[in-house]
Amino acid sequence: MSTQSQNDQDRLELLQGTLDLLILRTLILGSQHGQGIARAIQQTSDEELLVEHGALYPALQRLEERGWISAKWGTSANNRKARFYSLTSAGRKQLARETSKWNRLTAAIGRILESQEG
Amino acid sequence: MFAGMFQRMFRRERKATDFDAEIQSHIRLEEERLREQGLTPAEAHNRACRAFGNVTHAQERFHESRRWLFFDHFSQDVRFALRMLRKSPAFTAIAALTLALGIGANTAIFSMVDSLFLRPSPVAHAEQLTTLAFQRVGGDYDSIFSYSDFQDIRNQSAEVFSQVAASMDLRGMDGLSVNGKQEPIWTSYVSGNFFETMGLKPALGNFIEPASGKSVDDAPVLVLGYTYWKTHFAADPNVIGKSVLINGHPVTIIGVAPQGFHSISTFLDMQGYMSFGMASVTADASKDFFTSRKPAGITIYAHLKPGVTLSAAQSALSVIGRRLSSQYPLDDNWKSLLAYSLGPLSPYDDPSGPAIIMLMCVLFLFLTGLVLLLACLNVANLLLARASAREREMAVRAAVGAARSRLVRQLLTESLLLALLGCAGGIAFGRLGSQWLGSLNLNTTMPFVLDFQFDWRVFLYALAAAVLTGIVVGIIPALRATRVNLNDILHKSGRTSTARRQRARSVLVIAQVGGSLMLLIVAGLFVRSLQQAEHLDLGFDPHHVLNFTLDAHEAGYNDAQGRDFLQNLLSRVRALPGIETASLAAVVPMSFSGNDEELKIQGYEPPKNQPAATADFNAVSPDYFRTMRMPILRGRAILDSDTQTSAHVAVINEAMAKEFWPSSDPIGRQFMSINDVQHPTGSTAVVEHLSITVVGIVKNGRVVNFRRDFRPYMYLPLAQKYETPVTLQVRTSLPLASLNPEVLGLVHSLSASMPVFNIQTMTDALDTLPGLLLYQIGAALAASLGLLGLALAAVGIYGVVSCTASQRTHEIGIRLALGAQRVDILRMVLGQGFRIVGIGVLAGVLAAVAIARLVGNFLSGVSPLDPLTYLSASLLLAAIALFACYIPARRAMRVDPMVALRYE
Repeated sequence: MSTQSQNDQDRLELLQGTLDLLILRTLILGSQHGQGIARAIQQTSDEELLVEHGALYPALQRLEERGWISAKWGTSANNRKARFYSLTSAGRKQLARETSKWNRLTAAIGRILESQEG
Repeated sequence: MFAGMFQRMFRRERKATDFDAEIQSHIRLEEERLREQGLTPAEAHNRACRAFGNVTHAQERFHESRRWLFFDHFSQDVRFALRMLRKSPAFTAIAALTLALGIGANTAIFSMVDSLFLRPSPVAHAEQLTTLAFQRVGGDYDSIFSYSDFQDIRNQSAEVFSQVAASMDLRGMDGLSVNGKQEPIWTSYVSGNFFETMGLKPALGNFIEPASGKSVDDAPVLVLGYTYWKTHFAADPNVIGKSVLINGHPVTIIGVAPQGFHSISTFLDMQGYMSFGMASVTADASKDFFTSRKPAGITIYAHLKPGVTLSAAQSALSVIGRRLSSQYPLDDNWKSLLAYSLGPLSPYDDPSGPAIIMLMCVLFLFLTGLVLLLACLNVANLLLARASAREREMAVRAAVGAARSRLVRQLLTESLLLALLGCAGGIAFGRLGSQWLGSLNLNTTMPFVLDFQFDWRVFLYALAAAVLTGIVVGIIPALRATRVNLNDILHKSGRTSTARRQRARSVLVIAQVGGSLMLLIVAGLFVRSLQQAEHLDLGFDPHHVLNFTLDAHEAGYNDAQGRDFLQNLLSRVRALPGIETASLAAVVPMSFSGNDEELKIQGYEPPKNQPAATADFNAVSPDYFRTMRMPILRGRAILDSDTQTSAHVAVINEAMAKEFWPSSDPIGRQFMSINDVQHPTGSTAVVEHLSITVVGIVKNGRVVNFRRDFRPYMYLPLAQKYETPVTLQVRTSLPLASLNPEVLGLVHSLSASMPVFNIQTMTDALDTLPGLLLYQIGAALAASLGLLGLALAAVGIYGVVSCTASQRTHEIGIRLALGAQRVDILRMVLGQGFRIVGIGVLAGVLAAVAIARLVGNFLSGVSPLDPLTYLSASLLLAAIALFACYIPARRAMRVDPMVALRYE
């Protein structure tokens, strides 16, 4: 993976507000710590998205305060102490809401763009 | 959703260290992953850190996301402010004490206002409760009805009122004896539904049966007032069912009224309640109480039906009033019948009653507010002086990036803390003050409530005063301190003080001088008025007279027995050695009790706005005018020959002669007395019109109150107008105290159970609310506020002038070095003080003139614009103010030019 650093400039900056959605989506697969979430977002997006790891934590904090995720300290697969996040039921509902909103948004934008191309 | 909010609100705050630990753990995990991919540890660390980005930024964002940021700043501010206050304990102590005095004065006066006017009546649905009044054909208002009126109104107003109840208060004291020991008790006679209408629940036992209060056959039962139960029965729960004697008649205690319920009036504490039926058994109500239409001192309370407005009830009452007064034109000569909301003040009351106390409270709230303002100005001045000293501190903090709002908040926190310290002290001072007010001896047996407890309203008021104080005191210095040009301050030495700040401080001092002068003038007026009142020619001589009030009615005597007893007592007392004269009177001058009567005088037409001729009266025994040393100007005094069976006579005062017989000789003239309650033959329902002959004219005397004008007053023979209680008055050349046991012994040898009270000299008896007491309280309060204001002003002026002078030390040094004379310097510094004091005095005089009308209500014998008071107060204040200027001016004069120039 030596190409990673050269590719940094080509990656997509996250749209405002989408990080929350990605975090929630990632956690639906099970509880995860911050570094794992960052990794998962990058891998699942085929390394297309640029997630500054530092930005992740205030976002996690915000989601936690809203009650959408909960956190507790535990040990990682390789026996490291880490703070694990998991979705709450409120978070699940929020994810559903946000996902449908996102789908409608992208669909609408897609339609506009296609009509102009065509 | 709310549950979530709730949960989040109370969730434990996540610590910053925990957040940091999480970041560290992230970096370590990332490092490990990278190492697994084959990077060296150093490379892995660098890459992990780079991927993370700015750690501090993340931490800051975490920090700002916390809910308690505001409180973080706040606790910082508080800690810093506490440190600043601790660092200058002298400043803190003086400022807090100053504010404590101001807040204390306000709290004390407010506690009085609160308990008299603001504390809600403990009755249920007080907002639906109304009191009834009527307007007489002549125009004056009254709220005294007969029992028949009450019944008629109750029966005819069911559409608008859910309940109509009535009570008869303050008819006089009753005597309650338990186990042979007799105590006076003020009882209220009430309709059966009284407690139900008020929505009260007994503290103990039961209330009077709702069905009772309609005839003399009522069960002889008594409900005790809560306070009386506590003080006279030691709050004994076994009191229920106990049999006691009221005026010699056996009654059973069945209940205790709830705590906090004094009476419908906030001023009185009724001590017992009995049904109307008992009024003619235990009390002296006439036998025809239930049938007569003569006003019998009954107050009517009506509870509005749900949904009925006051104005709807009003129109229903108008109809009832018209109907009743056309049905009974002689007795119910009402022009209209009215209802008004229950409150501490009745709009139809005698303006000299509670209203005057309310007005006095308003005046003193205003004056204490002024004292607090003066205290604020003083502390603001101190803070301004400190602000100049801290100019550099503020500038430095602003330079390193503190926002102006943050600095203002910091300074305001300091002044608010000071104010809260002052508030704590103020509550303590206020308690002392209100205890003093509550311990005042009103010199009456009437059960006035003078219990100025501090409730939450008083505390809230003190707190609000403190917060307001903190803001007033802090905002100007805070804004000034932060609105500075950083460059100016950081580049120059501390010498420069902007002229604008000087002007601000001068304005503060002018306000101080003006405010305290106004206080001094008011204090002077009150003190002069008290002196005038004390030395006023009363028209009688209160010295060397001793009073003993006796109540034959409480002892269980009927009228005939009472007359015999008094006659017997009088002749025995006259035989005692050292007695010059002895006499009896129903009314003691300046006491609360007093009677007036409606008169019909041939040839006299009452003025348009007056209903009928009325005169106050006293019933007295022979020798009364000799005991009181009231000169008979014409005709004769009341003699032994004026008996129950002889022709009715009256001695009238000059004012009455002038009012009713302005152009002829009143001696030998006859007039009719209309509201005569007592009739020798007793139980007739017809109103008796007595024909009375004027036999003498007595000099005008100030017997009702200290007001300037004399009202018609007449003296009737006690033999023809039997009243109880009466006061035995004895004039003697002996020391008054030595006579006391002798007379008491004599009374009790004639009747062991005779209650004797108000044993005091006639001079002491003048210290009542209608008498001197209001003047005394006013003078004491106003004088203490005036002195407080004076002290505050002196300190304030001294502080400002000395501070300015010391800031001008450098300039003064230059002037001296350039050849200015020391006298010039003195003149310069004093000149500044003179100007400020001069303007302040002018402002103070104008302010005092502005409230002169309000103050005038409480003055006697002194004009509220009395030039002597204005002049002497101004001179006193100016002298003290100038002295406060002189000290720093002298110091400035002595400045050594070399020292001053080298300064800094």
